[in-house]
Amino acid sequence: MAAFDLDFTLQQGEFRLAFSVNVEARALALFGASGSGKTSALEAVAGLRTPQRGRIAVNGRLLFDSDRRVNTSVRSRRTGYVPQDILLFPHLNVRENVVYGLREGNRPDLRVLVELLELATLMDRRVASLSGGERQRVAMARALYSGPDVLLLDEPLAAVDLPRRRRIVDALLGIRDELSVPLIYVTHLPEEALTVADWAVLIDNGRIVASGPPRDVMPAD
Amino acid sequence: MTAEIRDIAIFTTVAALAATAVMLVPGVAIAWLLARRRFPGKAIVETVVSLPLVMPPVATGLMLLWLFSRRGPLGALFDRIGIEIVFTPAAVVIAMSVMGLPLLIRTARAGFEQVTRRYEQIAETLGAGPWRVFSTVTLPLATRNILAGAMLGFSRALGEFGATIVVAGSIPGRTRTLAVGIYSFTETGQDRQAAILLVISVSIAFVAVLASNRMAREA
Amino acid sequence: MTLLLRWLVLAACLALAPRADAQGRGASNRQVVVSAAVSLTEVLQQLAPAYQAKTGDRLVLNLGASNTLARQISFGAGADLFISADEAQMNAVAAYIDPATRVDLLANQLAIAVPDDRPRTMMSARDLLDPAIRRIAIGDPAAVPAGVYARQYLQTIGIWSDVASKLVPAGSVRLALMAVESGAADAGIVYHTDVATAAHAREALLIPSTNGPRIVYPAAVVRAGKNPEGGRRLLAFLGSPDAIAVFTRAGFIAPVPVRN
Repeated sequence: MAAFDLDFTLQQGEFRLAFSVNVEARALALFGASGSGKTSALEAVAGLRTPQRGRIAVNGRLLFDSDRRVNTSVRSRRTGYVPQDILLFPHLNVRENVVYGLREGNRPDLRVLVELLELATLMDRRVASLSGGERQRVAMARALYSGPDVLLLDEPLAAVDLPRRRRIVDALLGIRDELSVPLIYVTHLPEEALTVADWAVLIDNGRIVASGPPRDVMPAD
Repeated sequence: MTAEIRDIAIFTTVAALAATAVMLVPGVAIAWLLARRRFPGKAIVETVVSLPLVMPPVATGLMLLWLFSRRGPLGALFDRIGIEIVFTPAAVVIAMSVMGLPLLIRTARAGFEQVTRRYEQIAETLGAGPWRVFSTVTLPLATRNILAGAMLGFSRALGEFGATIVVAGSIPGRTRTLAVGIYSFTETGQDRQAAILLVISVSIAFVAVLASNRMAREA
Repeated sequence: MTLLLRWLVLAACLALAPRADAQGRGASNRQVVVSAAVSLTEVLQQLAPAYQAKTGDRLVLNLGASNTLARQISFGAGADLFISADEAQMNAVAAYIDPATRVDLLANQLAIAVPDDRPRTMMSARDLLDPAIRRIAIGDPAAVPAGVYARQYLQTIGIWSDVASKLVPAGSVRLALMAVESGAADAGIVYHTDVATAAHAREALLIPSTNGPRIVYPAAVVRAGKNPEGGRRLLAFLGSPDAIAVFTRAGFIAPVPVRN
C-alpha cells in the first residue's frame, strides 16, 4: 500500500493537464486515449517534466511542491521509470543494463528479480537481439534493481504480442505483491487495469474525468 | 626516399598525432557544452570555434604569431620562463591543433546531439549523477563520432600549411612539415623532392579520411 | 596591435596581388605588368603615379621573392617586365625574356636588422655568434636571393656553419624582416633598403658592398607579356634620372657601379 498524493497542473505550449489523485493504493492505472496527457503525468512524477503548480508526494516523501519551492532532482527521486520505447542502453548487455542503477538502500536481491522476470537465460545477451517482451522485462528489472520507492511504467504491454502478455501481467502482479513496490502505470488496455490496479484514473484531454476502483471507471464494453 | 624526406614525414605525423591529443579533451568538452547546455554567450563561443575554419589560414597564423611572439600576451609569459614557441615544433603542434579543433568539435557535437537525451534521462532516473551519466552513457554512445572527429582533426593537422608556415616557419629538421616542405621545395626549384612529399601527403590523408568516414558511417 | 594590422594587410595584399597572367583583354596599351623583387615595393609604388601621369600607362605591381616570380614566368606568366634581386633568377628565365633588353638596374647592400625593443649596434657580423642571438631570420638560402647573398657572406667570413642552427629561413626577405619586427627572430639579414621600411626594426650593421656580396638587380622585358612596348618604355624610365633619384633616396645604389 502506498499513499499517492498527486495534485498538479502541467502546461506545455497549447497542452494543459490538470491532475489530482489522492489515494492509498498498491497500483494506480492511468487510463486514456493517446494525447490525453497520461504519459506527461507519469513523467511529472519521475521529474522529467516540471509542473507549473502543485504537489507530488509518494508515501509521505515529498518530490515536488511549488509553494514550498521543492523540486527534487531526477536522480534523487528514487522513481523507477520504464518509458514506452523502453530505451535499454544499447552499448551494454542485459546484465549491465539491469545492474546499472546501483544505489544504496533497500534493493531487491538480483536473483529474486531474475527469477520473477524470467531473465536467467538472457543475462549475457546483447540488447539488440531481444524480443519486445524480453526488453520489457529487462527494463522492468533495471528500474527495480535501483530500489525505487515507486515504479512508473508507460504502456508496459505495448511492445509485447498478445500470447506473451500474460507473462508481463504476472510480472506486474509479482512486483506489486512479492516485492511490494507501488506501481503507477499508463495503459489503454482494460485487461491490465482490471487485473493489476486497485485504483484507476480516466484522463481525457488533460482532465481527469473519472477516478475510482477500476471496475467503476472502465468505459463500458 | 632520402633521410630528410623520411624525417619530414615522421615529424609531420608525430606532430599531427600530438595535435590531435592536445585538441581531444577541450574539443570533446566544448562539443558537449554546445550540444547539451544553454548559456549566455553561446553564440559567440560557436562563432569563435568556427573561425579557423572560415578565416584564411594565414590570418589565423598571424594571430597565433602575434599571441605567441616575444611581445605578444602569451609569448611574453612563456619568454619569462624561458620557453620559446614561435619557430619551434611546439608552434607546429599549436597551429595544427587550432586548425583541426573546429572539425573535431563539429563532428563530436553532432555525435552528442545524436545520442538521444532520453538515454541520459533514464540514467538519471536510475540514480546516476551528471558525471556518471556522461561517462557511462553519453560518451560511449558518442564514441564513434568523436573518433571520426579526431581523425578528421588529424587529417586537417597533417595538411596544415598557412598557419604553420607563419608561426613555425619552414626550418629544415625542426619545423618543416610535409605541406610546408612541398611549398618550400617548390619555391626553391627542388621539384623532385616536392613531388615525393606530395605523394606521401596525399596517401596519408587518403587513408585518414577514408577511416574517418567509415567510422562516422557506422556510428 | 599596429604590427598585427600591418601583417594582416600585407597578407591580404599578397593573397590578392594580381598574378602577372591575370590581365583582361583590351587593357594592353594602358597597363604594364611588372614582376619585381619585393624589396622594390615602396620605390615602385612611389614611381607609379608619376609614370602614369607621364605616359598614361598604369603600373600593375606583382611583388614577391624573385625565385617565386621566376617560377611564375617559367610557367608562362605574362609579366611585361621582370626585375630580379639576383642574376641567378634572371638566368633561370633566360629563355623567357628578351636578352637584348636585359640590363643591370640597381645595386643594394646587406644589413643586419634587430627588433626595435632590443636595439643594438654590431661591430661586425661575427656578433651574430653571440648566444643572446638565438634566432636569425634570412630569406631561404636555397633560392631566395637575399638568403643566397646572406649565405655567401656568412660563408665568406667563415661563420656559416656556426650560425646554421640559429637560422630561420623565410619565404622572402620581407617575411624575414617581419620575423625580426615581431621579435620572433633576434636578428635578421635583409637588404639595407628594407630596414628603412620597417616600423619595428633597426639596423644593427650595414654590410657595405666593399665587404659583402655583389648585389645586383637585373631587369628584362618578358616575351610572354601583353605589352612588351610598355615594358621597354618602363625599363627606360627606370633608368632615367628621375627614377634614379627615387632609388637613391631609398638607399639603393643606382646606376650600378661597374664591376671591378
